Amino acid sequence: MRVGSIVVAAGMITALAACSSSSGSGGSSASGSASSLSTVTVWDPYPQNDATSDWAKYLAACAPAGTTLTRTTAATADLLNNLTSAVKAGNAPDVVILDNPAVPAAAAAGLLAPAKDAGIDTTGFDANLAGPGTVAGVTYGVPIGANTLGLYYNKDILDKAGVDPSTITSWATLNAALDKVTKAGDKGITFAGVAGEEGVFQFLPWFWGAGANLKSVGSDQAVAAGQLVSDWIGKGYAPKSALTDNQSNSWDLFLTGKYAFAENGSWFAHAAASQKFKAIAMPIPGQNSGSAPAPTGGEFVLAPLQKDNASAHYANASKVISCLVGKDNQVKTADKLGYFSANKDLRQAQIAADKVWTPWAASIESAQGRTTDLGADYTTTSANLSTAIQASLNAAGDSATVKAAFQQAAAG
Amino acid sequence: MTVHRTWWKTAIGVTLTVVMLFPVYWMINVSLTQRDAIRAGDFYPKSFTLDHYRVAFHQQLPFLATSLVISIATVLLTLLIAAPAGYALSRLYVPGRGTLNFLLIVAQMIPAVVMSIGLYQIYSNLGTLDTLPGLIIADSTIAVPFAVLLYSAFMAGIPRELIQAAQVDGASHWRTFRSIALPISRNASVTAALFTFLWAWSDFLFASTLNRGGGNLRPITLGIYDYIGSQNQEWGPLMATAVIASVPTAILLVFAQRYVAAGAIAGAVKD
Amino acid sequence: MTVQNPLIVSGDAMVGRTWAPARPKPRRPRRTTWAAVGFLSPLLVYLVVFYAYPLYTNVSLSLHNYTRATYVTGNAPFVGLDIYRQVIGSPLFLPIVEQTAFFVIVSLVFQYTIGLALAVFFQRNFPLSTVMRGLFLVPWLLPIIVSATTWQWMMDADSGVINRILGIFHIAPVWWLNADHSLVAVTIANIWLGIPFNLVILYSGLQNIPPELYEAAALDGAGRRRQFWSITFPLLRPVTAITLLLGFVYTIKVVDIIWIMTFGTGSSQTLATWAYAMSTGKGTSAVIKYSQASVVGTILLLIALVMGFVYLALQRRSED
Repeated sequence: MRVGSIVVAAGMITALAACSSSSGSGGSSASGSASSLSTVTVWDPYPQNDATSDWAKYLAACAPAGTTLTRTTAATADLLNNLTSAVKAGNAPDVVILDNPAVPAAAAAGLLAPAKDAGIDTTGFDANLAGPGTVAGVTYGVPIGANTLGLYYNKDILDKAGVDPSTITSWATLNAALDKVTKAGDKGITFAGVAGEEGVFQFLPWFWGAGANLKSVGSDQAVAAGQLVSDWIGKGYAPKSALTDNQSNSWDLFLTGKYAFAENGSWFAHAAASQKFKAIAMPIPGQNSGSAPAPTGGEFVLAPLQKDNASAHYANASKVISCLVGKDNQVKTADKLGYFSANKDLRQAQIAADKVWTPWAASIESAQGRTTDLGADYTTTSANLSTAIQASLNAAGDSATVKAAFQQAAAG
Repeated sequence: MTVHRTWWKTAIGVTLTVVMLFPVYWMINVSLTQRDAIRAGDFYPKSFTLDHYRVAFHQQLPFLATSLVISIATVLLTLLIAAPAGYALSRLYVPGRGTLNFLLIVAQMIPAVVMSIGLYQIYSNLGTLDTLPGLIIADSTIAVPFAVLLYSAFMAGIPRELIQAAQVDGASHWRTFRSIALPISRNASVTAALFTFLWAWSDFLFASTLNRGGGNLRPITLGIYDYIGSQNQEWGPLMATAVIASVPTAILLVFAQRYVAAGAIAGAVKD
Repeated sequence: MTVQNPLIVSGDAMVGRTWAPARPKPRRPRRTTWAAVGFLSPLLVYLVVFYAYPLYTNVSLSLHNYTRATYVTGNAPFVGLDIYRQVIGSPLFLPIVEQTAFFVIVSLVFQYTIGLALAVFFQRNFPLSTVMRGLFLVPWLLPIIVSATTWQWMMDADSGVINRILGIFHIAPVWWLNADHSLVAVTIANIWLGIPFNLVILYSGLQNIPPELYEAAALDGAGRRRQFWSITFPLLRPVTAITLLLGFVYTIKVVDIIWIMTFGTGSSQTLATWAYAMSTGKGTSAVIKYSQASVVGTILLLIALVMGFVYLALQRRSED
């Protein structure tokens, strides 16, 4: 009888579920129903800045007159999901700051209001840095700042091994340097090969440096890039933990002072300058010569789609956004986050004002957006590429496996 | 001869404990190590620092306090719901009692991924997102099925004569429950309270789904994640926070150990 | 939902009293039923709001084809059992099921065995035994982010503690977290996590066994090993059964420890981590797959239900 009643209950639930097409209606919006709102909510992906931090106070100062700003922070990975459930429930925040590769996915899912509707000023941002904010011809938001990847090196270790960093202009010379360094008793290079977008982000300079294209991830150039990182693991130039290290973890390894190179982001530039050993940044070398194009990092400020009282929400959103990234404050905001301004002229002034940025000037100029070509399809490509990268790292140099991995990625 | 034997057992016991607790030692080790030496893998904190604890104390104390409030309130709420339910299931006539018991076990089988999708919706509709009472109610649901089954088991073991004596004296069901069943089931209450406190203290799923925007009113399980930034994670302060957060629960465990162990169960189960 | 989803005290109590009332139900006055309803109503409200509704949402998600966009609008097409066919027919499905089976069975076997061995070891008091028993529970109360990250560091292929200890015995270092070995790595960490819980419950089960039985057996000349297999183990059967049942139910849902250590890459992917990755768009792929995740969630629930019925059948058999 117990079994019977459970089966009946299960049947009822299934029947109910099949019949319904929509689950739950949106609740009322959190703020008042008058045409002006007294609280402005902002979501950002900087949980390391707590309520007492500089950033929180800086953000609170951007509250439009007569309102208070409430800030919620969550990790990037959760922010998009939180935004999805919030928009569905009808209590989306006024402003959301999303990592740039997530913007096309958010736009395609109908979570964002077009910049025009929200009253966001989209002029004055460099095309290569603002690219991810435009999806299918509609612009949704603007960059809060930009960052990119470079190659940090430990000058003390290179000196000890007799390596001249200015000779590192290609993969071959980089590998030769790694060989010398490891023979001299130190360790080679740290990078993040973790599964997911962060690993793909770190792989792209090698991918693009070989001349590969995100539209065809099974090409020979792509395989060459995969072989490069795979060999690093196989020959012991890179730690095996690269398989699970994210950028912060691989930076921690570099900080121990035992590694000669670290592929990491410009947001660590100040930290690099204050280490016990001499840590210097340089652009990532391309396969044969020159610098490899690096991907653009950094988040975008956007206005989520609002159901009720939209115009009041959008008005507040545009005020907060222009406070953050308007011409007067753009550099201040970028400096707070350790990012570059996304406007060429402002950025050049920023770089000139702080010499820790000098090695990065060229890299950020030529940095490319990940989603510019593929738009919302980037998410699938990134997933396939991530699987191929993980398989290559696991292969530890075995070229047949690496080749098969990238061909599998191309097949989708 | 017996004394010699037992000291030998103590030695083995200490070895086993050391092996078991090695990860805990590592946690303390990292919490006292400077950031640039954390991945160096040294067995003791060569680059010693108390900075992480300074940071943790400075930032995490509100969350610790919130966790304490939430956990204690969850315990009270859970006992309030589970004790009468357990009494009803074990001593009163309830049609479908077997089914309800089975459902209580099934309730504990539901995977988190199933729960999380529906929960946000419910709370959003009820308007209880980001509130402490909302989180307390959610946390109590983790413990309630277990506590009900526990009370059921204990109260079923109460001798019929005691209940009948009270009823002959004209006591109502509520009176019987309050004056006879509940005091006898004191061990069950303590055990249920202990487990409930531990779950509420360590809950992450409900806190992150329902209380994201809580600011300072977030529990320590969320507070600790503030150190997991998007490009930068601070393991030192995170481990220091974990050490600080473990202290009240460790004290509680050692204290309540006896209630989870001998006698507590033996007293209730008379076959 | 969390690591400490534990077990009931004594299988005996549950079996004897609440599951199968031996006496026929007497005709009770109405008042009893109303009192029962009053006592039970908060519980019933909970069960409906917190369990029935999410279950319903889950089944609904699995019968429609949801994307992020249609999740927001709620207008996903009804596709019946198509998603079930898609998930079960995927080339990933069978390997993941096998990995899940390995993870659960090996975890349970070792957690139970080690927990029982420790419980027997602590059965008779010796100096410091109470303190040590308390200390064994400390892993239980660590935040999982701490335990999992520590295990990840300890299992680091190049500088982790475990490989260094292996090196002392001249064993070559193992790449614990690569695709082939990650299943074993996360299983080891999970076993460690589950030992305190098994220890607590089995220890209290051992305390239930009357010491007179041991005295009588000792008088009859039975050694410690004989005593264990003839007295301890058989009398622990109800506690064992429920420990393993709830251990199974909990282990099959485990996500955190695997996720933090490896993101479920390589062989460490189980049904639970697969469902989690698809329902949140985390891990390797940021493509969110609500429906597929709900299908896997439903499969998990069905597996747990089957185990529940197995337990019931075993209990009914042991009563006869």
